[in-house]
Amino acid sequence: MRGNDRVATHNCHSRSNRESRKVAAFDGLSNMELLLNSMVLPVTFPLAAGILCLLLPKAFDRARSVLATVASAITVLIVCRLLLEWKQLPGNAPMILSGSAWGSLRLDHLSSFILLVTTVFGFLISLYSMGYMRGKERLREYYAWLLGTIGIACGVILANNLLLLLIFWGLLGFALYVMIGIAGPEAAEAAKKSLIIVGGSDCLLMLGVTIVWVLADTLTLSSIRMDLADGIRYVAFFCFAIAALAKAGAMPFHSWVPDCGAQAPASVAAFLPAALDKLLGIYLLVRLTTGMFVMNTAMNTLLMLVGAGTIICAVMMALVQHDLKRLLSYHAVSQVGYMVLGIGTGTALGIAGGLFHMLNNTIYKSALFLCAGSVEKKTGTTDLDNLGGLAKVMPLTFVSCLVAALAISGIPPLNGFYSKWMIYQAMVDSGRNGNCLWLIFLATAMFGSALTLASFVKVLHAVFLCKRSAELRHRDIREVGFSMWLPGIGLACLCVIFGVFAYQLPLATMIFPAVGGVVQLSGAWYASVATVLLLAAYALGVLVYLLSTVRKARSCNTYIGGEIMEEVFHHKGTDGKVENVEVTGVDFYKTVEDLSPLREIFGAARAKLFDIYDLGGKVSAYFWEILRAAHGGLLPMYLTWVLAGLLVLLWMLFSGGRVAI
Amino acid sequence: MVYALCLVLIAIGLYGVVVKKNVVKIVISLAIIEYGINVLLVLIGYRSGGCAPILQQGMTAATLVANSVDPLPQALVLTAIMINLGMLILMVAICIRLYERYGTFDITEMRRLKG
Amino acid sequence: MENALPFFVAIPLGAAFFIPLVSLTLKWVPDLLANAVMAVLAAMAFLTIGQAGFYHMGGWGTHLGIDLRLDGLTTLMLVTINTIGLAMAIFSVQYMTKYTSKLRYYSLFLCLIAGLNGIVLTGDLFNLYIFMEIVAISSYALVAFGCEHDELEAAFKYAVLGTVASAFILIGIALLYAMLGTLNMAEMAVKLAAGGMNMPLTVALGLFLCGFGLKAALVPFHAWLPDAHPAAPAPVSAMLSGVVIKTAGIYVLSRLIFNVFTVQLVPDLFSILRLFGVVSMIVGGILALGQWDMKRLLAYSSISQIGYIVVGLGLGTPLGLTGALFHMLNHSVFKSLLFLNAGAVEYATGSRDLRHLGGLSRNLPFTANMSLLGSMAISGIPPFNGFWSKLIIVLACIESGHPWLALAAVAMSLVTLVAVLKMLKRAFYEEHKPLTVHATEVPVLMRAAMLLLATLCVVLALLVLTGLRTPFLIAPAVDALSTWAGTAPGQGMGI
Repeated sequence: MRGNDRVATHNCHSRSNRESRKVAAFDGLSNMELLLNSMVLPVTFPLAAGILCLLLPKAFDRARSVLATVASAITVLIVCRLLLEWKQLPGNAPMILSGSAWGSLRLDHLSSFILLVTTVFGFLISLYSMGYMRGKERLREYYAWLLGTIGIACGVILANNLLLLLIFWGLLGFALYVMIGIAGPEAAEAAKKSLIIVGGSDCLLMLGVTIVWVLADTLTLSSIRMDLADGIRYVAFFCFAIAALAKAGAMPFHSWVPDCGAQAPASVAAFLPAALDKLLGIYLLVRLTTGMFVMNTAMNTLLMLVGAGTIICAVMMALVQHDLKRLLSYHAVSQVGYMVLGIGTGTALGIAGGLFHMLNNTIYKSALFLCAGSVEKKTGTTDLDNLGGLAKVMPLTFVSCLVAALAISGIPPLNGFYSKWMIYQAMVDSGRNGNCLWLIFLATAMFGSALTLASFVKVLHAVFLCKRSAELRHRDIREVGFSMWLPGIGLACLCVIFGVFAYQLPLATMIFPAVGGVVQLSGAWYASVATVLLLAAYALGVLVYLLSTVRKARSCNTYIGGEIMEEVFHHKGTDGKVENVEVTGVDFYKTVEDLSPLREIFGAARAKLFDIYDLGGKVSAYFWEILRAAHGGLLPMYLTWVLAGLLVLLWMLFSGGRVAI
Repeated sequence: MVYALCLVLIAIGLYGVVVKKNVVKIVISLAIIEYGINVLLVLIGYRSGGCAPILQQGMTAATLVANSVDPLPQALVLTAIMINLGMLILMVAICIRLYERYGTFDITEMRRLKG
Repeated sequence: MENALPFFVAIPLGAAFFIPLVSLTLKWVPDLLANAVMAVLAAMAFLTIGQAGFYHMGGWGTHLGIDLRLDGLTTLMLVTINTIGLAMAIFSVQYMTKYTSKLRYYSLFLCLIAGLNGIVLTGDLFNLYIFMEIVAISSYALVAFGCEHDELEAAFKYAVLGTVASAFILIGIALLYAMLGTLNMAEMAVKLAAGGMNMPLTVALGLFLCGFGLKAALVPFHAWLPDAHPAAPAPVSAMLSGVVIKTAGIYVLSRLIFNVFTVQLVPDLFSILRLFGVVSMIVGGILALGQWDMKRLLAYSSISQIGYIVVGLGLGTPLGLTGALFHMLNHSVFKSLLFLNAGAVEYATGSRDLRHLGGLSRNLPFTANMSLLGSMAISGIPPFNGFWSKLIIVLACIESGHPWLALAAVAMSLVTLVAVLKMLKRAFYEEHKPLTVHATEVPVLMRAAMLLLATLCVVLALLVLTGLRTPFLIAPAVDALSTWAGTAPGQGMGI
């Protein structure tokens, strides 16, 4: 903002009063007006409220949580007001606020819908935190950063300036680090790992931004359109893509998600890695592939490869987890695969499917994490071995968990099915357009979906359905409080609504406009009709069951969870007799784990051979060892280096232009 | 030719610093380097057959400039000698303290700081 | 303002001699006097912003007398040196009580400040050498201040390597004088531009690069730094890492390269700088990763950050210079802050070995938050100052067509992040260890010093609001470097 910029014009479509709408651009919006501008307010208001939360003394913890919840609710209202203002613009043109060379904000279909979802989730999480975080340490920082995160995320979404985007993006990584760390000393390693992977991708984003800046000679996101013509443009593309994928948690940059999910407070896990980081990562990926860069087939295939790999590898890992939050985190990774796969098809349908899946995933994955948090709050553990039988005492939690689990597994008519359906179709389409690998990707995605269902059978069984574990048997466990079950139930309702009325509600109003292109569903799925049919089918099934009596029965081994009962679940007593049959569900799919090639792969995964963080650590430790050995504390050696350096310098100076880097 | 002798002096000093293990010898080698440089500085200002740059009775400034050697390097050398003196005292003091702590003058045995 | 220039050297030097005289009986004098001196100097430094001029000592002309010169770069350095110095003086009041002799400490400290101010003010190469030696001797003594095994060993190695570097520099000065007949840098530039290079001048340049490269701790001349900086008392470590290597190394190098020898004379100069810069960046960064001593980790990371600065200088474009000088300023602030944090941890627990620390964020919340801020600044997390200078350097690399340097810069940014996160986790966020259970927060003045620097970390980021390519305070310094060559000093303001 040099002198001449200070009187820069503000294109203020957004001003609500009449006079200003007539004038598209006018001079001299003062700083205060800028801060209160309806486009800036979603960023500044939560930040201001966050600072207020930080300043409240410790005695006001209760008031603080109420304040945070109210503030996040107001943020939702602010965003709604902004969206209404934007809807009144002729032709739904993007709304732009160009404060100066630096701070240009833009609201279009894509950002409006992600903005709304983000703030709604912010509100739900603050509501949940009122109960979940009560009585915990460091609430001051927690609420401040929670509100701050909402504001920063709004900044990322609204930014139309790459530099602004980069700043908010980096801040978000920092917020993640702090919020994981709030859980206490056990979470220190997870926090560090998350910031190293996310912050490392931020460094690459910085490189990408600078390359684009120099090549396109502009920082305005909406006006950049680049062909992948040469190496440096590929570098820029990869930088952006890695930043987006690392934030979203796709493989191979996923390994922070499980650690973070397992160690962070459940509300943080539900908000950041499960919801917000997905939203923003996929948002950037869509901007990248549809706006900033002109994709080619190779890049699309690469993206699809990443997506398919993520789906299958992460879901396999999820299958064998023993910790509820960690298991859910692996699913959070796996679901990213679908989104990336959809976006990788490059068709409007695929991108719409990816975006819709992102929305759906945010809903059900947050619901699942919130349920996990409720379970943890009441039982004190998330270890599947030690849980069980909670369906009776926590019915509301169970229902929301059940719906969300069915949704994530893609059971019609819930929302997860619809978005997966769209992605599958997009893949078939891409096959028609000459992508030869589509069949493999499709098979992988479907198989992944089946495995998701399988692992959620395990979760539901182990947490809610089987007998209570010995530890819990004598404890008085009750349903969680209102503020904790309400978000879960609300999200479960959304799962149903977005599934049944998929076209009418989210797709037509939010997602198809965001994609822009005309979206054609080749194999149409009329969700509402299908729901009626499905319900009829279920009813018919019940009827048949009630009317008929089973005449013929076939006797066979007892199977449970795909395992023969006797082999796995019978804990033999000392006299060799079977006693105390307990099916906790954790041992489901043990045979899968022991299958020949998979066993080695799981072993390697446990040894963290696929973890980019540990691999990087090993490589750098190798170089460090070499360099360390050179610094042996011997003065004569150091002096020799100095003299050698001098000789090299003199040689370079006298060689006259032959050395160049 | 005389310049070369200065360079030899400096080279001897450098050799001593790099090769000698005794800390006192290293300090002495450093001193030798400094002497070499000082001699070099004086030589730079030398003019063959010139007189000392001191204004004597009956001599104008012009004749002094015409006949004397360059005074500036001499001033520099004086300053440099003082600095070297300070440095030498400090380093010898450190050497004494080192001997008190480590019980040796051998620099290769002073290797607590490494890695 | 020109007439005040000698006071930048005279005041601290006078106070350095005055302190031992009066404070044998009055114990509080050293604290008070040193802080007062630093406050005055910092205020004076801020007053020089936007000013320029010459001061001829004793009223002699440029050719015969001694020049002090003030331009954008000098102002930048003066502000850096004296502001950081003020923070160190505040920190020292309570920190140095654990050492025995405060008055000697403050004497040496003020000598150091006097020498640093002298280096940046003088326009004369030999004076520069003298001031550099003042800095060197006082910093050797300050490194040895603890008088234990480590301190003495580090000080001796530092002294030997530093003396060799000084010898190289003096030979270089002698060669230049023999060839050009002057010691004034501005006159040298004119004569060099007229006469071109020859063999002795090239040797002199090589000796300068080696000598000042050693003072700046460029790889492979860096070996003294990781020993010396951790051994000194914390405020001195901060001063050495934050200010001394930049003033005695980077500042002089950039003066010589841009104002005296120019790239027109030595076409390879920039590529040499880039090479040494990128090697330092990588080697320092990787070595920092595995360290267990907090201060040693920070010291290695200083080498890496110096690499960034030198890479920025080596690009030679105005934007590269802006990034380099901005990073120099920023690094002074956040590295000093981090060294003070390490000092505070050592003060509270008696150890700075990361293996024996842990959980301090609960005992020392203030220090922990300050460390967090400093760490984020050094690893280039927005919106702190380090982010901006790194961004400018990366941008300059891309603009001038060196994408690989840009890639190395961002990669090392990640490595820095890893190193400081390790430090944060081990020291502050892990479980308590026996050593740290009963630690208590450090005294108020130490916190005040950290707060001052932390505020600067945030405030300096705002400099970019005055223009990314022309930040306030930095742009005049860049101008000074890129336009000074060949312009002889104008009419002096001699007394």
